[in-house]
Amino acid sequence: MIGQASQETKVAEKPAIAVRNLDFYYGDNKALRNITMDFQRRKVTGMIGPSGCGKSTLLRVLNRMYDLYPGQRATGEVLFAGRNVIGSGVDINRLRARVGMVFQKPTPFPMSIYDNIAFGVKLHEKLSRSEMDARVEDVLRRVALWGEVKDRLKASATALSGGQQQRLCIARTIATRPEVVLLDEPTSALDPVSTARIEELLDELKKEFTIAIVTHNMQQAARCADQVAFFYLGELVEMDSTDRMFTAPKETRTQDYITGRFG
Amino acid sequence: METTSQTVSPAARVIGDEHGPEAGDGRRFDTDVVFRWLVTAAGIGVLLLLGAIILVMVVGGMKAMTAFGPAFLFTSVWNPVTQHFGALAPVFGTIVTSLIGLILAVPLAFGASFWLTQMAPARVSAGVGMAVQLLAAVPSIIFGMWGFFVIVPLMAHYVQPTARHWFGHVPGLGALVQGAPFGTGLLTGGLILAVMVMPFITAVMCDVFASIPPVLKESGFGLGATRWEVMRNVILPWSRSAVVGSVVLGMGRAMGETMAVTFVIGNSNRIGWSLFAPGNTIASLIALEFPESPAGSLKLSSLMALGAILMVLSFLALAASRILLGMSKKGDGR
Repeated sequence: MIGQASQETKVAEKPAIAVRNLDFYYGDNKALRNITMDFQRRKVTGMIGPSGCGKSTLLRVLNRMYDLYPGQRATGEVLFAGRNVIGSGVDINRLRARVGMVFQKPTPFPMSIYDNIAFGVKLHEKLSRSEMDARVEDVLRRVALWGEVKDRLKASATALSGGQQQRLCIARTIATRPEVVLLDEPTSALDPVSTARIEELLDELKKEFTIAIVTHNMQQAARCADQVAFFYLGELVEMDSTDRMFTAPKETRTQDYITGRFG
Repeated sequence: METTSQTVSPAARVIGDEHGPEAGDGRRFDTDVVFRWLVTAAGIGVLLLLGAIILVMVVGGMKAMTAFGPAFLFTSVWNPVTQHFGALAPVFGTIVTSLIGLILAVPLAFGASFWLTQMAPARVSAGVGMAVQLLAAVPSIIFGMWGFFVIVPLMAHYVQPTARHWFGHVPGLGALVQGAPFGTGLLTGGLILAVMVMPFITAVMCDVFASIPPVLKESGFGLGATRWEVMRNVILPWSRSAVVGSVVLGMGRAMGETMAVTFVIGNSNRIGWSLFAPGNTIASLIALEFPESPAGSLKLSSLMALGAILMVLSFLALAASRILLGMSKKGDGR
């Protein structure tokens, strides 16, 4: 792991997303203060911190989900694919296809398993029936759900178990071939077995996608993330490789949080 | 009684131990029995009331039913002089005006509720939402007068002549716009009904669309869907049964509406293709003819039979919506 971390610093690859001097407001309430950080390409970036520290808010800035709600606004820069995505003139629907998101609770749409995946794909691509079949099978295989559902693709997705639903939601997200996948506490509503399967999945997914995961679970951050960012009261306190964050954090606030002294 | 006292006793004993004498238990127990009887009576009362209403309608209409037989349903004569009565014209008018009302109201209500819940700024949404509620609270007689003094002249002077000018000679469509421009008629009745049921449907749809979990909506947006795509593919399927329910609610109100329609329908016992021809509905015919129907007369019995038919129509609408919902749910696998 230490070898990996030192390698990481040598890699000159540009970050997938670069956040620069980002401020975020809910009305008059400032929720993020001057955030500057990089999301490394094809790495898992874990985001930790007590509730209300702004980590989920940051996630929602990256795909401009906050745009849905009047009164929420962001200033600063979020550079993705050479553009400031929080600026004007950005095709938000296209952005959201390239920066996919998975939520705290599994959110299957009230339609069949197949259609849950085809829905997002159809929004952005015209595929033939056989191409769509292939895409659906491919993503279901990658989330290790194919064997469980291949005989009932036409059945309602709401009949699946919670863990299966969440894997379906991940499949749905990667089916639009995003570059970045945002996960907002994806396992907080799942049992330990389902959680373990999602975590295994992350290892596979990071070969292809840049991943940002918000989690309340320190072990999860330690297990899954390559780099970890600690947020507190809307500020980015510290960000480093996972190893260094959990063994030798520079800030005492980080130390206190990860050892469970507050939070 | 015995089973109840057995199930209650453990808890009662605990409370008795804490608070002293056993007498307290008795009183608590009595209130429980009284409460149980009251709510049971209320529940059964509703059933009895429904049964009684149906019974009165059927018994009252029996005379007409036996006099005319099934032909009552299929003749459109309404002649007190010759004592010939048939239900077809008012049934036709009821169904046609209600359908016109729904066809106009449902898209409007859907658009309004979509805009109010998904797009409008919170402050505007609250204001318009309030206006919609107020519109729903306007008494139907007001709509009747407004329809008579505003809509009827508008229809007579502008809408009907224009429609006849443009569509009068088109095959098929022409039949829909024939007749003298009285201003009253089926279309005017349907228009008034649309204005009256629209706020109801809008209010229910707003509640439904507002109750969808935000995270489900965001999942749709998160895939890059537009507002319309999220509405069409996520919100509507999720709230389908409630949306159909709101439409049926509006249909029920439209079919039973009396005063407002009576003002503008033209009150003529006719059946025809023309939307501008005067017509009749069950409710308005009953309202108009009731004062002139002596007790025990065949005419009064015919009116009662019409009332029974109206109830059956309402039930059919309800049943149809249930069946439709059941079918679409099966398709979804839920």
